[in-house]
Amino acid sequence: MDFKLLTGPMKKSVAVFCFLVLAFACREPFDPEVPEGSSSILVVEGYLDTEGLESEIRLSRTVLINADTTLAPESGARVTLFSEDGAAYPLTEVEPGLYGFSQNVPEDKEYRMEIELSNGELFESLPIIPILTPPIIDAGFLRDEEGVEVYITTQGNENADDFLWTYEETWIYRPRIRVPYIYDSKIKDVRDRTEAENISLCFKSEVSSDILLETSSRFQEQVVFRQTITEIPQGDERIQERYSILVYQKAIDSDAVKFWETLKRNTEDIGSIFSPLPSMISGNLKAVGNPQTPVVGQVSMGVVQQLRIYINLEDVTPWGYLDPEFNDCIVEQDSVLARFYDPTFVSGAVLPARPYIPPGGTVILGYFPTSRRCGDCTLYASPITPDFWEDD
Amino acid sequence: MNIFTRGILLILCLVSGLSYAQQTPNRISGFYPGVPFERFMEKIEEETTYRFFFKESDIKDLTVNLQANNDKLEDVLSQIFLPTDLKFSISKTGEVFISKGQKLTVDFPDSFFAQNEENQSEGMTSAQDEFVRNRRYVIGVPSGEGTTAKIRGQVLSLENSKPIQGAIVYDKITQAQTITNPEGRYELTVPKGNQTILIQNIGGYTEQRLVTIQGDGELNMSIGEGVFSLSEVVVRSGALTNISRPEMGVQSLSVQQMRKLPSVMGEVDILKGILTMPGVNTAGEASVGFNVRGGAADQNLILYDQNTLFNPSHLFGFFSSVNSDMVQGVELYKAGIPANLGGRLSSVLQVTPKLGRTDKIGGSGGIGPLTSRLSVEGPIGSKTTFIVGARMTYSDWLLDYLEDKADIGASRAFFADFNGTIQHQLNEKNILRFTGYYSEDEFQFDPDTVYSYSNQNFALSWTHYFNDQVEATFSAGQDGYDFQVQGEDNPLNSYRYNFDIRQRFVKAQFRQEKGDRHIFSYGIHSIWYDLNPGEIAPFGAESIVIPDDVAAEKALETSLFFGDEFEINEKLTVTGGLRYNLYGYFGPQTLPEYAPGQPNLPENIIGEKNYASGELAKSYHGPEFRFSGRYALTNWSSIKGGVNTMRQNIHLMSNSSVMTPTDTWKLSDPFIKPQRGIQYGLGYFHNLKNNSVEFSAEVYYRTMENLLDYRSGAKIVLNDRIEQDVLVTKGKAYGLELFLRKSTGKLNGSVAYTYSRSLMQTDPSEQKEQINRSEWYPSNFDQPHNANLVLNYELSRRINTTLAAKYSTGRPVTLPVAKFEYGGSERVYFGDRNSVRIPDYFRLDFSVNLEGNHKVKKTAHGSWSFGVYNVLGRDNPYSVYYIPEEGTLQGYKLSIFAEPIPFVTYNFRF
Repeated sequence: MDFKLLTGPMKKSVAVFCFLVLAFACREPFDPEVPEGSSSILVVEGYLDTEGLESEIRLSRTVLINADTTLAPESGARVTLFSEDGAAYPLTEVEPGLYGFSQNVPEDKEYRMEIELSNGELFESLPIIPILTPPIIDAGFLRDEEGVEVYITTQGNENADDFLWTYEETWIYRPRIRVPYIYDSKIKDVRDRTEAENISLCFKSEVSSDILLETSSRFQEQVVFRQTITEIPQGDERIQERYSILVYQKAIDSDAVKFWETLKRNTEDIGSIFSPLPSMISGNLKAVGNPQTPVVGQVSMGVVQQLRIYINLEDVTPWGYLDPEFNDCIVEQDSVLARFYDPTFVSGAVLPARPYIPPGGTVILGYFPTSRRCGDCTLYASPITPDFWEDD
Repeated sequence: MNIFTRGILLILCLVSGLSYAQQTPNRISGFYPGVPFERFMEKIEEETTYRFFFKESDIKDLTVNLQANNDKLEDVLSQIFLPTDLKFSISKTGEVFISKGQKLTVDFPDSFFAQNEENQSEGMTSAQDEFVRNRRYVIGVPSGEGTTAKIRGQVLSLENSKPIQGAIVYDKITQAQTITNPEGRYELTVPKGNQTILIQNIGGYTEQRLVTIQGDGELNMSIGEGVFSLSEVVVRSGALTNISRPEMGVQSLSVQQMRKLPSVMGEVDILKGILTMPGVNTAGEASVGFNVRGGAADQNLILYDQNTLFNPSHLFGFFSSVNSDMVQGVELYKAGIPANLGGRLSSVLQVTPKLGRTDKIGGSGGIGPLTSRLSVEGPIGSKTTFIVGARMTYSDWLLDYLEDKADIGASRAFFADFNGTIQHQLNEKNILRFTGYYSEDEFQFDPDTVYSYSNQNFALSWTHYFNDQVEATFSAGQDGYDFQVQGEDNPLNSYRYNFDIRQRFVKAQFRQEKGDRHIFSYGIHSIWYDLNPGEIAPFGAESIVIPDDVAAEKALETSLFFGDEFEINEKLTVTGGLRYNLYGYFGPQTLPEYAPGQPNLPENIIGEKNYASGELAKSYHGPEFRFSGRYALTNWSSIKGGVNTMRQNIHLMSNSSVMTPTDTWKLSDPFIKPQRGIQYGLGYFHNLKNNSVEFSAEVYYRTMENLLDYRSGAKIVLNDRIEQDVLVTKGKAYGLELFLRKSTGKLNGSVAYTYSRSLMQTDPSEQKEQINRSEWYPSNFDQPHNANLVLNYELSRRINTTLAAKYSTGRPVTLPVAKFEYGGSERVYFGDRNSVRIPDYFRLDFSVNLEGNHKVKKTAHGSWSFGVYNVLGRDNPYSVYYIPEEGTLQGYKLSIFAEPIPFVTYNFRF
């Protein structure tokens, strides 16, 4: 997307201005008073897979800009997909505001989505034509002095020219100090942790919030070669052992490109001096009967292509991840002897980290302790290994 | 032609001296409360070179009851003689003949058109010599007729060859005297024979020249300007002209005035100076353009001499791209744009470049922390002068120094500009001038992407004086602008994006004085546009970026214009003008055809039409009317009114709030119609305290058609079919401008207040999108209240302090009113276009100019300028915006100069 090429780097212009005024502060938090109104607008999001892969439509409402939450799901709506030949495919609400769809529908038809809210308001989409997304040809990563760049390569065709990529990242998260022991108050002793009690191996996950768009016809033979999906800066937490990224590739039409570009511009690109004016956002939905009622959302259909890759720490060494937050983490020099286990470890705030075996001895007399924040990764991440996770 | 010449001769016979009266200060000022006419004449004879001839009985009981203020003698006499049957004639040499009943015919002096006058000019080197004072100059050729002869010439400064205004030239014996005009020219009638001519320059020595007068002739003199360097000569927008000139909405600014203004980084800046004027505003501190009376930044024509500057700024607006050392002055036409200028909707900013001095090689320059400049000027031979200047940044050292302190990465910024003018006087009637301008900017925010742009202009002009009444300037030249982005982030995706404009122009412009009361200006102006709206190309061997471009555009614009400044009577002067604009958009071009009555959208394309090279694809034409009039209420006050219409065929495509270098230009085509506007204005002008205080109040109302605004998500860059994203938009603007200026005294300065609105509306017929439901919405630069204060206090001749303050209403922005989750992040929903304002803007600047000593004999004259920009350190927001940070929305305001910024610059001239 050439616009990105031109304006993306402009973000740094702020920094240049700072330089020019001898690095004085340029940017300050600001909470203007904005007129109330325009709130509670229906928001529709979704890309329906036509080959039966589980996909969903999310209905929500806008909230005031200074509200504490953005969670305002719209429950109890009737969402139905109509094919041009009259076939109706109702969606079922699987979670508040989340309407699931997993049906194999013909791709050569034109579709229309109808949303009837619980208050009776009716919304309808413009005709939607499913687009068969071509597969991701290759995904990989590049290592350079700045860090790691994850890329994919794909090829567009005459039906699928514009692409939207989203991704989910998952990585192993380790505590600074691995604690294989646990104080069991039942047996009043320290023992090895079971798999379920593991606090040394966790997983963190993040869903992308970037909007990645590219038009394949800009390139020769419509090959989008090594499109950057995300960049992981040198020393980032994500590659401390093993990292995985699942890239979703969706082919969208040019109207959807405009919608996503507007969405992107309205948020991501607004930070620079050269930012364009924010634009009104609408999408391919209209209120039936009252076209002035605003509604936000772009519903697309097609085939979702996905590819997962892994990156191990060894692949990128030297990486140099070190979270300064835990630089004070040590295993204490003074051991906690057996008779003090209960008062010391029962609260869970102090963990038995390393056994104390006196020189020449063979019996554990006590444990060198550490604090929980240094040894328990479940404080920061999930100890449950995701289903998809593959070890080397 | 014969009739023409005869007409001129006739007019000369009847009211001879007219053309000189306009140049020499033979004007009448004073208060005559019922004084006898005889006393009045004595007074006039004392003050001017006029001599009266009359029959005493004719004027016996006549009294004079009037107040004159730099009026022509003819006007004054007409007034006095109105109730009587007295008639008067004024000869070319200043004899006033008063007769009863019938007008005397004053003979035309024989030698007036004769070309046998001897030209006595002093050589520069000998000027200082005693020889000059003691040499006897022989003037004119012996001719039998008359006992007096007329000598004329120019008085120049010995130090810098600049004309000396206000020097008194007089004859030692008869005490006949005259004062040099702003060009240093004088004309004096003296008895024939051996005479001593004395020249008294204010504050200087009296010089003498010994002459033998044989007949009419010329005597040019170079005299010392004196021991005291006078306080700067401030070229005022004309304390008198502001009430007497018929146009309204015209603001002038001299470089001297600009120098006093505090500036960012100590760089004297013409655009910042313009911003202290009423009705001129800017959307933000670092914005390239300025807005005049509710118009967009691209609606200002910025002329450097004859050349159009497409980007008047360096470094996105931090500095104006014109080196102030190379500028004589600037004039901004907000209304009352003369018929010979046009092509933009809002205003014309005429930057007049400096011409080289004629005495010796000299120069000036300045050294500041970020930029330095140097200019050199002087004569080449006796007929040619030159001036060249250069300016450059060396900011990279600062960037390196700051690298550790701020996260500026590999930012780099560089700019430079070069300009020069050579003027050659072929002979008395022909002057050739060549002007060239070149600027370059290059900056990068990261190591991979380099932005650069460049202005390239040159023009050759030939001024020919047909006679005293008619002069013409013929000019031809080219204006160029290039912009380029080079991205080398990844060898495979490396690209180069660029766009450029070339416009070649020819212009013939005549100025003709017709009689006493008309000044005609007429001519033709043609511009050939050659525009490359944008192309992207792979950069480097590995790149797989597909080249893409928007088809080049070609157009020819020709304007015929005629204007007349007509003095109907003493009280009422009008100027009228008509400019007829013809515009043709030419092939090669391939244009889509949209279904009639359908919006210009891709789905409505029904065909395609090819135009061969040079084939006319679309033409537009229409008249532009310029009219303004001045009615003098008293000698000190006048009211003016005006209406003018404008057309604009080249448009800046910008989707951001300010003019940015990435904005591209577009020509009018079958879908993008020329912008049109009409402005009505009314003003009251009043001068106080002997013209040292000027006050003006102006109101205006304007409407604009075919403005460009864009539908949501419009792409500007590399958009082949921009008409699919353009919304038909109308605009209107209105306002009140109050201006008070005190130009003399130790304490001087100006106060300006402007109330103005600038509104836009999507045409209700627009089917693509209607911004704010087709209601009127404020434009991006609608800032209703705007006040400027410039206070200058001269502590002594060497120390000058200036305080400048600026206040304006915050500009309107479009802010998010609601938020929602989408695409894995929090997103914002924006409210109506421009429905919220950023906080008001207020800034106080202070500067001190320290002049060096004023000894005449020293190699260089230096001065220091230091001060503080934004003394109060107010963090005036430039913009506000929201960005998602770790999943939540945070509002930010961006201030560009949030702290007091000290500056220091050393300026010198030699």
